[in-house]
Amino acid sequence: MGFITDSLREALALILAGDREVFSAVVTSLNVAIWSVIFASLGGVPVGIAVALGKFPMMGAIRVLLNSLMAMPTVVVGLVVYGFLSRMGPFGSLGLLFTPQAIIIGETVLAMPVVANYTVAAIQGADQRILPTALTLGASRFQSLCQLTREVRFGVVAAIIAGFGRVIAEVGVAMMLGGNIRFFTRTMTTAIALETSKGEFAFGLALGVILMSVSLAVNIFLTLAQESHSA
Amino acid sequence: MSQAKYRLSSIQAVHGKTASLSIDELTIAAGELHLLAGSNGSGKSTLLGILAFLNKPQRGTVYFDGVPVSWEPKECAALRRRVTLLHQTPYLFSGTVAANVSFGLVARGVGKESAQKVVRESLERVGLEGFELRKARQLSGGESRRVALARALACKSEVLLLDEPFANVDRASGALLESVVTSLVAGGITVVISSHDELLGTKLGARVIRLEDGRLAPAPGQSPSEEFLRLTGRENAIS
Repeated sequence: MGFITDSLREALALILAGDREVFSAVVTSLNVAIWSVIFASLGGVPVGIAVALGKFPMMGAIRVLLNSLMAMPTVVVGLVVYGFLSRMGPFGSLGLLFTPQAIIIGETVLAMPVVANYTVAAIQGADQRILPTALTLGASRFQSLCQLTREVRFGVVAAIIAGFGRVIAEVGVAMMLGGNIRFFTRTMTTAIALETSKGEFAFGLALGVILMSVSLAVNIFLTLAQESHSA
Repeated sequence: MSQAKYRLSSIQAVHGKTASLSIDELTIAAGELHLLAGSNGSGKSTLLGILAFLNKPQRGTVYFDGVPVSWEPKECAALRRRVTLLHQTPYLFSGTVAANVSFGLVARGVGKESAQKVVRESLERVGLEGFELRKARQLSGGESRRVALARALACKSEVLLLDEPFANVDRASGALLESVVTSLVAGGITVVISSHDELLGTKLGARVIRLEDGRLAPAPGQSPSEEFLRLTGRENAIS
């Protein structure tokens, strides 16, 4: 027990001292997670709306595919994107491998099915009168879909938060596509894995505390936003 | 009879395996009040959905102002700006009453100042002056229905379709609704009301369109009246 408490004390000291390596990993993690969740939302929300409302063939297959992609192991996503970005791959000439941009691409692929699936659930759970009401009031199809999204915005925000949760906590993509390069592509999770394997438990714990704090802060923000709007 | 706003010819609207609506011929006159009477499942809401250009019939042709409707998305969107349907249990969007009432105006690209004026006028018309900043979701059931009516009125459409507007309303709200409907018709607006209560037609001075099992029907126990034959396009049968 003493080992845990001593490590925790040391971890807090590292955070309070503003350790450069700790904060570099935090900044890199937040940077790649925020950008990837933005791109995943730009793609995932419209896909979710289309899947929820669309009446085109193969709809069942698309839903099964989305569900399967949601559970795809991060290292498999990392492996596939690695294939595309490696020197021998189709996008190898761009020189993106082992850069934060590569992690953003991989994490976007990882988060998009999560955002899309949660959006499908939000749209399908919406009041069935929203679209006909908007349409009969003279809104175009696009305006009506915007209004529908506005009405289920908390579900959509929850979808985005779930996507953020998926990418901020993953290791596989960041490790395979970023290469865990110090002060460049090292994220909180890859740093935790590395430092713990080196026996630097306190360092890993410091990052773990920050990682948990970030997740908690995001969820508190969402809860407060929901409460203020429903009041 | 005035010029036809709608003419429906050989309409069939199918839900599942059974035909829920089958109309050979029906004319709705411009600038007049019509009552769509019938029991539950008679096809009133299905017909209103077609008249509102929300649901495309499986068969048949709908003429609007004498022009056949092609049901192309762009055409439907344009027609929906001329026709407004007020659902039986209207849905109010989250946000303020003003945001709800101005929704159709914003969709039409009406400027902020003009929209505010129309919102104020529409709310006054339904007896809800000063409700602009109230949260729509915090209103009582009666107030919500009035806001939905104000929202429909604000669109200033050529046709107003009201699905069971007199169901479950108190006497004061019923009287207010009657006066609004009367003034709309006086202003040349075509109004179609659906109701279980056929006597409402006499009370409001409306042309009665009776639906039974998805088909047009004459009044019970009577041979088809001259009015029925005229509405259903069988004037030549009058001898």
